[in-house]
Amino acid sequence: MRPEDDAYFEGLESRLDEAFAVAEEAKTRGEDPVPEVEIPVAKDMADRVENILGIEGVAERVRDLEGEMGREEAALALVEDFVEGTVGDYDTRAGKIEGAVRTAVALLTEGVVAAPIEGIDRVELLQNDDGTEFVNVYYAGPIRSAGGTAQALSVLVADYARSLLGIEEYGARADEVERYAEEVSLYDDETGLQYSPKDEETRFIAEHMPIMLDGEATGDEEVSGFRDLERVDTNSARGGMCLVLAEGIALKAPKIQRYTRQLDEVEWPWLQDLIDGTYYDGGDDAADADEDEGDDGEDEATPEEPDDAPDGPPRVDPDSKFLRDLIAGRPVFGHPSEAGGFRLRYGRARNHGFATAGVHPATMHVVDDFLATGTQIKTERPGKAGGVVPVDSIEGPTVKLANGDVRRIDDPEEALEVRNGVVEILDLGEYLVNYGEFVENNHPLAPAGWTVEWWEQALKADGADVQALRDSPYVDLADPDAEQALSWAADYDTPLHPQYTYCWHDLTLEDFLALADAVDGAAVQADTLRVPNTEGARDALERLLVEHSQSDATLTVADWRPLVRTMGFDDDLEREWAPDDLPEAAREWPNAMRAVEAVAPFAVRERAPTRIGNRMGRPEKSESRDLSPAVHTLFPIGDAGGSQRSFREAADYAPDMRAEQGLVDVQLGERACPDCGEHTYKPRCESCGAWTDPHYECEDCGIVAEPDESGRVECPRCERELDNVERQTVDVRDAYREALQAVGERESAYDILKGVKGLTSTEKVPEPIEKGVLRAKHGVTTFKDGTVRYDMTDLPVTSVRPAELDVTVEDFRELGYTADVNGDPLQHDDQLVELRVQDIVLPDGAAEHMLKTADFVDELLEDYYGLEPFYDVAERQDLVGELVFGMAPHTSAAVVGRVVGFTSAAVGYAHPYFHAAKRRNCDGDEDCVMLLMDGLLNFSKSYLPDKRGGQMDAPLVMSSRIDPTEIDDEAHNMDVVERYPLEFYEATREMADPEDVDITIAEESLGTDEEYTGFAHTHDTTDIALGPDLSAYKTLGSMMEKMDAQLELARKLRAVDETDVAERVIEGHFLPDLIGNLRAFSRQETRCLDCGEKYRRMPLSGDCRECGGRVNLTVHEGSVNKYMDTAIQVAEEYDCREYTKQRLEVLEASLESVFEDDHNKQSGIADFM
Amino acid sequence: MPDSTPVRVARELTARGYNADRAAVTLLADEPDPDAAVERVADAAPDDALTLSADDVRALLDDANADDAPAATPPAEPPDTTTDGGAPADVSATADASATPPADPTSTDASSGATSGRESPTEAGTPDETRGGESANAGGRTPTPPAVAEDVTGHSTGTGEYGDFVTVFRDRYERLSKKLRGRINHRPTDALDAMPGGSDAAIVGMVNDIRSTASGHWLVELEDTNGTFPALIMKDRDWADVVDELLLDEVIAIEGTLADDGGILFADSVHFPDVPRTHRPNTADRHVQAALVSDVHVGSQEFAGERWDAFADWLHTPEAEAVEYLLVGGDMVEGVGVYPDQDEELDIVDVYEQYRAFSERLKDVPGDMEIVMIPGNHDAVRLAEPQPGFDEELREIMGAHDARIVGNPATVTVEGVDVLMYHGVSLDEVIAEDGDESVSYDAPHNAMARLLKKRHVAPQYGGRMRVAPEEKDYLVIDDVPDVFHTGHVHKLGVGEYRNVKLVNSGSWQEQTAFQKSVNIDPDVGTAPIVDLDTLDITVRKF
Repeated sequence: MRPEDDAYFEGLESRLDEAFAVAEEAKTRGEDPVPEVEIPVAKDMADRVENILGIEGVAERVRDLEGEMGREEAALALVEDFVEGTVGDYDTRAGKIEGAVRTAVALLTEGVVAAPIEGIDRVELLQNDDGTEFVNVYYAGPIRSAGGTAQALSVLVADYARSLLGIEEYGARADEVERYAEEVSLYDDETGLQYSPKDEETRFIAEHMPIMLDGEATGDEEVSGFRDLERVDTNSARGGMCLVLAEGIALKAPKIQRYTRQLDEVEWPWLQDLIDGTYYDGGDDAADADEDEGDDGEDEATPEEPDDAPDGPPRVDPDSKFLRDLIAGRPVFGHPSEAGGFRLRYGRARNHGFATAGVHPATMHVVDDFLATGTQIKTERPGKAGGVVPVDSIEGPTVKLANGDVRRIDDPEEALEVRNGVVEILDLGEYLVNYGEFVENNHPLAPAGWTVEWWEQALKADGADVQALRDSPYVDLADPDAEQALSWAADYDTPLHPQYTYCWHDLTLEDFLALADAVDGAAVQADTLRVPNTEGARDALERLLVEHSQSDATLTVADWRPLVRTMGFDDDLEREWAPDDLPEAAREWPNAMRAVEAVAPFAVRERAPTRIGNRMGRPEKSESRDLSPAVHTLFPIGDAGGSQRSFREAADYAPDMRAEQGLVDVQLGERACPDCGEHTYKPRCESCGAWTDPHYECEDCGIVAEPDESGRVECPRCERELDNVERQTVDVRDAYREALQAVGERESAYDILKGVKGLTSTEKVPEPIEKGVLRAKHGVTTFKDGTVRYDMTDLPVTSVRPAELDVTVEDFRELGYTADVNGDPLQHDDQLVELRVQDIVLPDGAAEHMLKTADFVDELLEDYYGLEPFYDVAERQDLVGELVFGMAPHTSAAVVGRVVGFTSAAVGYAHPYFHAAKRRNCDGDEDCVMLLMDGLLNFSKSYLPDKRGGQMDAPLVMSSRIDPTEIDDEAHNMDVVERYPLEFYEATREMADPEDVDITIAEESLGTDEEYTGFAHTHDTTDIALGPDLSAYKTLGSMMEKMDAQLELARKLRAVDETDVAERVIEGHFLPDLIGNLRAFSRQETRCLDCGEKYRRMPLSGDCRECGGRVNLTVHEGSVNKYMDTAIQVAEEYDCREYTKQRLEVLEASLESVFEDDHNKQSGIADFM
Repeated sequence: MPDSTPVRVARELTARGYNADRAAVTLLADEPDPDAAVERVADAAPDDALTLSADDVRALLDDANADDAPAATPPAEPPDTTTDGGAPADVSATADASATPPADPTSTDASSGATSGRESPTEAGTPDETRGGESANAGGRTPTPPAVAEDVTGHSTGTGEYGDFVTVFRDRYERLSKKLRGRINHRPTDALDAMPGGSDAAIVGMVNDIRSTASGHWLVELEDTNGTFPALIMKDRDWADVVDELLLDEVIAIEGTLADDGGILFADSVHFPDVPRTHRPNTADRHVQAALVSDVHVGSQEFAGERWDAFADWLHTPEAEAVEYLLVGGDMVEGVGVYPDQDEELDIVDVYEQYRAFSERLKDVPGDMEIVMIPGNHDAVRLAEPQPGFDEELREIMGAHDARIVGNPATVTVEGVDVLMYHGVSLDEVIAEDGDESVSYDAPHNAMARLLKKRHVAPQYGGRMRVAPEEKDYLVIDDVPDVFHTGHVHKLGVGEYRNVKLVNSGSWQEQTAFQKSVNIDPDVGTAPIVDLDTLDITVRKF
């Protein structure tokens, strides 16, 4: 580690320690469930594993083992420790196995995700039919977040522990084997698996699995055969088990085999058969194997298939998967590989990489603002999805205006000016993808377009002194004038500069010849080319992306010389060639490229051989995380608070006129004071101030019990499981008044203070109401765990300018930044600085929210805990340098981050390593930030819901510093170079494997002193927040408006087939909606309007059986047919196929038949047909 | 397939605007060159003729054959075979012995069809008009138009309001409870609360809920118009497995004893509306038969066209002479949008074309048969039951034969025999829910028997069944039918329940990819034939 990195982390940790000290002091004063901070700091992965599992001694052992072996081997070595009892304190054999399995999963997921605690419910020993014992591992849905390898290894670990403990193998009964097969396929149909094993395969695994895989039901859909089995408690699909079997064992068999071979105690000889696919009975073998191959061939229509290589240019195959499940209101920007769509350009911008797509900000405006920074797009390649980032150093869109002019727009301002006059978007501009994306997705390189980066290196290779040209004040290498470009082409024999290279490959030979004829008939006037305005010529120029203007008679091309030269004309528009002169190869070539090469006096390259289709996925996100309904404090007030859960209402609540106001019955945990014996629901004794303990008393026996190590409480006499929850009457009126008094507030400080109906945690400890009062006052609300959160879309950034972050260079120097990316001293606001790995940029909304939170925290410290304020912020600049927690869903570990600035884009920009430490990439993923002190003061495990998944998305542990080797390794595939070599571009034309090209990726610096630095980029961008701040998807009102805009845009885009879009919207959105609602209507539940009671079927009495109130439908005619007319109209307008129209007709007739009285009909049914 | 089929002959004739009696078609089909024979007959027949009888054909053939001596003239070149031929030559060599002498003078009144009066002769030229009406000939079929009851078609008055739903369920309760009240002493649910513990009591109620208790007993909650009341069925009762056949929302009666503290009824017996044991079916008073088919699925890639041809051919044979009625139990076509991406598996993608194609298939059925059709879940009518019959546009498309188009379900009376036609969507649910293994896809008639016992074709609300609320519950089986006909599950099932004949009629669609995936092996090309005078059933396989 470099000294400056060390200083950076020291700085973070000292601020963290400072906050910790304050928080620890505060916690001894208030009435929090526990008198200490509940988020332990983990310095490394071993710490996280120990903290997340709560098994002491694991961290130390992991550190020992990690020095000697890989993580997987360490997980297996730990099994021996658990079995021998040197790690963990388990009495039972099942407990030992459980500890080992959990630890293995935690280790393999770097102690970040919730799978080890939430994904494994328990391990138990059951009996085989021969009376011997076997091991049953009980999985739950969240095991998903562990990934296939960890899932598979958890099984291996369980088996290893089993054999060390001398427990027998599981002997599956025939019906259990069949059940596995049926269930896995049911789960695949319902939820979908990444890998769908065939029934034979599942059976084969089930027959040989030495331990039983079991789990809890995750869906409502039940198996139809093999029900009510003795050793399987549910008839529903067990999601966790299905994942482990299919995506774990079946998919990762080769990986497991590597480890079974190392272990003498574990024999899984059947893995070989599984890997080879030789698990079929006898004669079926050959046939099935053949079938397999057939399937494979179809599935992976590999782009590198050199089918057409001999007689056509290199091209990737179009792939339309990204169009599936198209959603109304989210537009398609390009059909698969369609001309006019985004043109692939290779490179990494500084706000780019790690599942993102660089788009020109002018393009964002031209597509009616549907794209904004952070908008997710589903893309054709190389990955499935990406987050959009603005990059203005690439080319913008080419549009046709109402007056016929064709212009390329490279300026977002210009895009806004001309946007309303755009009649057709001929080209969406360039689409920047970095090399690392191809590595990560293992996608063969797609042919590169002819770009300045490539041209410069080609020019250099051809002998030019490019550095001298770059330094010359008279030369603009990126945008030379035509004379200059032509002379370079002539002098060095380098292909014509990309600025003057047009999309010749988008013309056919006939188009080209026709255009040549048009040029024959053209004239040069005022140094512009005037071509007669014919449809063919106009169309050809538009497809070539040649900028021009038009009048009725002529098409005028301003910068015309390179165009006519390329076509084999001289400046007097004389040509030396006739169509018959063209070589055979040019005639047979599928486009005009060879003909151009034959007639041009210089070499010409393909401008845009790879077009990438895509459509909008999710809009970007930047908003506070509120529970629904929003909650200020986790204090239960039952129904007394009305539908708003208002404390005011609850304080006035009385069941009848005579009753005392504010007495509310709620479920709360009973607690006892260890010092004075007083019973209360509060975490702290009101009489003596001691912290109380939950009180467990068996209702039947009256015996007081204590929890065991695992937290389970049993009555020692009747062995019933106990909890401490009971119905208690709380004087809300009194508690509310006291809380207001305690923090010196009046009710007028806020509009409403909202509590919760009931608590969902195990011990049902309420939060102090004071916290809610102050949250309400400062306009923030709490999440289920007591923290205030703000959600945003993740985006990466590796270098920033202080100016774009609305901070000054002084601020940056205070943060410890001293030099810019070139190593020059940091002196100006607009110098580019390499971002440190835990530094983050807050969107405006988050900054505002964090300010409010800081005010809330300060007042909480002062008025509630009686301490000094910690933040003392007046404006958002004061937040710079403050620490926050980053926290992703499905994980249980927070990552400490430092605020360094702000952006108007609605996203959370941070170093890719920061996102990877949270287990996120940037393809549209969202997660949240919390203010450090808020988390330390207000988070408590005691608030977490007592249900599956309750521990997810909660900061059970925090990482104070990022170790690049312990993050999601996807981030290691990011390339970190300033330019890609010439060989790279040439390799793309061969559609080479990305691994075969030598470009430095982040992985190479891992474990070295340079691991925190050196993230160079190939493309700059003026600002990381260009283009619209919000996607039109979020600013347009109704779904109908969005859909109209979507279809309107489809009409304008050359690369989009609007009929197909309309078709997909109807098929994917309207029809399922109509059919679903009609189905729902004809088998709906009903509900009482007065008391809310639900009935599966309409009561025969007509009225509510509970309260006599009015019962009504839950699905009405209006909600069934709301889209009918629109759907029919869209089908007509966009000329959808008959099949679709007929489905709509049949549906409309059905609706009419259900909702109209035949006897009252004005007209015949036939009228609408 | 044989070279010359009666079907082809019939088609050729209709294409030229003529209908023909079965005997006439047979005669033509037996010609050595039927195509030429049809050609000759068509040319020779009078312009105003609608239906050709056997005698007509004989006469015409003779006339026409007179012109060209060899009967084996290629059909493609009959330029001079005009109608006004000379003397009758010898009839085609293959004509069997029973063929009447050619010069029979009675054969001159060729235009017997004109006497029917049901169709105007001006329409004779359109190929759609296959129907010949009642033939005056002794050898032809003489079906009487069936009567139809309990049909929602044209009377769908529900507008989807809450009250409509309540009306339907109340109607169900009232009509079915009547069938039970005679047998037990019903106490309203609210009166039971007031009764002393330990007293005997009985409830007629709609099943509102079925739960198993922690100890394995069954709690069945019954509902009447006053409220609900729970009844406990102890698991050790030897009749406790009756719970396996209970469906939500059917109407049953439970007799038993009230618990000591009231509140629950310990069940001693369970009663269903059921079919009386004494039920004696009606029969026809002459020897006449009805063919019961369903699930034709025209338009599907799996449509078994050749089997259908074989069936239609058979109907033209003397063996099928008594088959005067054809009842079609729904799913005429494969439909559109029935399941996702269905278009990829359609042979005919246009739903109207599907019905046109079906109509063509219908024309192959002898013109003197009476046809009744109900819709199914693949048809282009609403899915919610009761389903009204096809709308005007589809009726027009299927205009051939002037088939009787009714709703699903409907009771159709043919020759005095009541046939309850129901497509059968609820069979899926009965088979899935019923605990008895004999109620399976391999024996759909057992599931049908359950429905008869419940006296309702689709009791359970809210699951797979879709209900459109109407002014009454059309799905109640108010009168016991003589024959119960369903389809939908594509499996043949023939049985009997308390003297009611049960027929589930298989399909005309070969195994689909979906059926293969769930291991359903359909019965394809089966046509159960019911003797309406004896109610005996023979299954024909094509």
